[in-house]
Amino acid sequence: MSSLPVIAAVGCTKIASEHRDCNARDLLADALLDMLADAGMAGLDAVEHGLASYESDHFNMQMTMGAILHDSIGMMPKPGLRVEGGGATGALALRTAWAHIQSGLCDSILVYGVEKNGRGLSSRTANQLFALSADVDWETAIGGTYTGFYAAMMRAHMAKYGTREEQFAHVAARNRGNAAFNPIAQRPMDISIDDVLRSCPVAEPYKLLDCSLLSDGAACILLASEAWARAHVPAYQSRPAVYFTGTGCGTDTMRLGDRYPHITNFRAKQQAAQAAYAMAGIRDPLRELDVAEVYDSYSGVEIQAVEDLGWVAQGAGGQAVAAGAFDLDGALPVNPSGGLLGRGAPVGATGILQALEIAQQLWGVADARRQVNNAKRGLTDTHAGIASISVVNIFERRD
Amino acid sequence: MSDKVSSLIDITERDESVDDMWGGFRQIERIRLELSQRYYYSLGRQSRFFIELANQRFFASACDGCEKVYAPPRPLCPACLRPCDWRELSGEGSLETWSALYFSPGTNADVAALEPPYVLAYALLDGADTLFPHLLRAEAASLQRGMRLRVAYNEGPVSHPIHLMYFAPA
Ligand SMILES: [Zn+2]
Repeated sequence: MSSLPVIAAVGCTKIASEHRDCNARDLLADALLDMLADAGMAGLDAVEHGLASYESDHFNMQMTMGAILHDSIGMMPKPGLRVEGGGATGALALRTAWAHIQSGLCDSILVYGVEKNGRGLSSRTANQLFALSADVDWETAIGGTYTGFYAAMMRAHMAKYGTREEQFAHVAARNRGNAAFNPIAQRPMDISIDDVLRSCPVAEPYKLLDCSLLSDGAACILLASEAWARAHVPAYQSRPAVYFTGTGCGTDTMRLGDRYPHITNFRAKQQAAQAAYAMAGIRDPLRELDVAEVYDSYSGVEIQAVEDLGWVAQGAGGQAVAAGAFDLDGALPVNPSGGLLGRGAPVGATGILQALEIAQQLWGVADARRQVNNAKRGLTDTHAGIASISVVNIFERRD
Repeated sequence: MSDKVSSLIDITERDESVDDMWGGFRQIERIRLELSQRYYYSLGRQSRFFIELANQRFFASACDGCEKVYAPPRPLCPACLRPCDWRELSGEGSLETWSALYFSPGTNADVAALEPPYVLAYALLDGADTLFPHLLRAEAASLQRGMRLRVAYNEGPVSHPIHLMYFAPA
């Protein structure tokens, strides 16, 4: 029986530069116990399916970690799988789970994302492993880094549209400020645009405070049919139903240069957003959405995203961001959680944490200082690489 | 951590000590593991590009079907799903976008030897339809969009054949 999934429960760890007392299994345990408390459930006996979300086998020196995680929380002999899609992994995992429920393959699926990306590796090893996520023949071998690819894109955006450094510094300052109202956030900071502009250069035009964080952390979301959630999740009846109403995915070439002349923006994101809006019945996203978590791997990426998600015209993102349109008191609050810049980005858990923030916003249970008043519809935007894979998921409260 | 094979960390500074359900699991050991990997890695059908760099010649690939010229070369045209042909380019072109990088990932010996800031450049080579990424040996402050560049060649030895070339101002 096909049915639109609901978010039945959520849970996570605090996000940190390192949970040195936890390995990946321990982080999952903490996120899962947090989720069971949220759900009011005693265990996972009724849950039908597992879905593991993590990016790198290398970071854990462990292949088939999905099977180990599934084992560590006693999901045997139920079905399970692992989803991987670079930075988009967590959002792609939720999209995959959506299809499992919609197809009738199961009525409940536990999506769990875990990453140990913090300080559990020497920085040399971490740099080398991250470099392997670019095209190793043409980009990695010359010393290219993702910071550099994003920076070259941003330079093109600045050249074409006049976007300015202080406009993306606004994102860096605002998201870290929002993180101060999020108890799980890794790096809340009270900083000014000038602080961002004065931080040391990393890859021009990006400076240290324009860059997001490496993180350890885990997050779980239990997706289910409405009937299953009503029957098995005690907390479900006590809060508004949050439906997973739309999901879109788009792709683009791996290498920036192959996109020429379209090197200022994310075609994959435009594609993902349009598909998600069509599925969720959204015609005017800026008006119909109430809150969004946007993939701010670098501060300027949020400017590109607000254009590609169709909220402002191409090239108008810098001005709109700097005018406060996406601040907590703006037309569409973006990254109330603090985003990747402030909350942190444990890769396989990132897309799940974004959805967790949206669920809490739609339930109305976020800290009052970041809670968007009467939020009914929220969006997550997550991508891999320089948006070689892009996923947009949409959630809606139905009272 | 870097010098010791293993170390014990007794987590005593955790602030949630009251009611900590993991109180019995506070002794944490971290160990150092090394994993060395060696690949005998085929450059596959891209190989001629790298082989010709040693002859100071720069090759793209061109599709007969859609007439698109790919640099870096693609053996298979993804638009037409048919094999491309090799096409030699002059190696001259113009700078489209770039970034000055202040941290080297140390990917290979040639990258590790770079002195930051070094310039990652995307060049539109004459006769190509895509941008080719490579290091541009020039002062970052002197760069301007549209400035003319040329492919320059190294004698080697290099750690990866892509380093037989780089970009220089024309
Ligand atoms: Zn073709």
